[in-house]
Amino acid sequence: MKKFFIYLLAAAFIVIGILMCQGTIVQESSGDGRQENVYGSVDTLPMLISQVRKCARLYTAEYRVHKIVTHDDVLRLKGSLLQRQFNIKLPLGDRKIAIPIDAKLKAWIDFSQFSERNIERRGDHITIILPDPQVTMTSSKIDQKNVRQYVALARANFSDAEMSAYEQQGRAAIIESIPSLGIFETAQANAAKVLVPMLTAMGYEERQVTIAFRKQYDAADMKSLLKIED
Amino acid sequence: MKSFKFAIIIFCISLVIIAFFWLRSCTKNDYLELGADDAIDPTPTQIQSIKAIGEWEFLSVSLEELTDTVRKGFFSDDELSRIYYGTLRLGINMHQVEPGWLEAEGDSVILALPKIGLLDRDFIDEARTKPFFESGSWKPEDREALYRQAHENMLLHGLTKENLSAAETNAREQITSLMHAMGFRKVTITFQK
Repeated sequence: MKKFFIYLLAAAFIVIGILMCQGTIVQESSGDGRQENVYGSVDTLPMLISQVRKCARLYTAEYRVHKIVTHDDVLRLKGSLLQRQFNIKLPLGDRKIAIPIDAKLKAWIDFSQFSERNIERRGDHITIILPDPQVTMTSSKIDQKNVRQYVALARANFSDAEMSAYEQQGRAAIIESIPSLGIFETAQANAAKVLVPMLTAMGYEERQVTIAFRKQYDAADMKSLLKIED
Repeated sequence: MKSFKFAIIIFCISLVIIAFFWLRSCTKNDYLELGADDAIDPTPTQIQSIKAIGEWEFLSVSLEELTDTVRKGFFSDDELSRIYYGTLRLGINMHQVEPGWLEAEGDSVILALPKIGLLDRDFIDEARTKPFFESGSWKPEDREALYRQAHENMLLHGLTKENLSAAETNAREQITSLMHAMGFRKVTITFQK
């Protein structure tokens, strides 16, 4: 019986030893037989899914916007006791984070359905009626160098999932603000800057060319003209 | 005497029962929770620059890239995996056309267009990134390295000869169609090589 316990103890030590050594690469150095632990980063999981789409979009305006996403993460004890509500801020439970985001917004006009119906000719005058401009967030970048966070002693650091959730909320807030940025108006004005030189090269004089849009857009129209991938 | 004692006991039991039901009714909607608000604070969106551009996009390649990094440790390995989203836009930049790029005569038009290429090297929507797995503690520099890795991989997988060729073919079709709509019957298009 006593031997059995000794064997059991030895087996337990071996298992613990194996578990402790897991994840450590031991390399022998070339000459002196010294051993050292190597800590490194490797990429192991490249995966790709792609979608290819044909289109004919003329991008006419580019806006670079900046937003600092902030979050004040205060740990609170909320509840109700004997029908009395309470909301207490717990000491040493504060966390704060500021994430700067730079985004690029581009306005474009879809020419894939452009046809003779979009052109009106009266004498030597030509009017091009363009489809509605649309806006896309073409890129966004987190300024990782300038991310700042404060974490109280009793709290854990912000996780990647939490930070990503704040970044996604920041992205949504940028998209929400697009109609107030004036990018639709700029896109309409810039469309003429691209198309008029093309038409003058075709033989028209500038005064003979009119670039027109279907209508003036209000805030509700602008929201429907946002093309955002989720 | 016995009946008096019995009455007191009954009274006490009744009191306890009443107190129990009273306390139960008072604490019916009671709750206790420990937590924090997940919403971000409202901050302004600032415009840094406005630029007039003239980029014709003829092919878009939307990519998802799962990128991860592993840090070997003494007891266990730390791992960070994130899914990045990006769209490579292939086409021509009209600001790169040379003088005399369009020549029209009668019902014929000749267009000499710039080379088809990547319109913008900023194509990753990093704020849309999805966290996939995290163990251990990671610094902003590690996330920046992952972003660069995803950028490189997307270029490698999206900016291929096949995609550039498909973009050029579509550009020919679309511009020919546009010129036909403008009244030209014979359209000749060349791209810079």
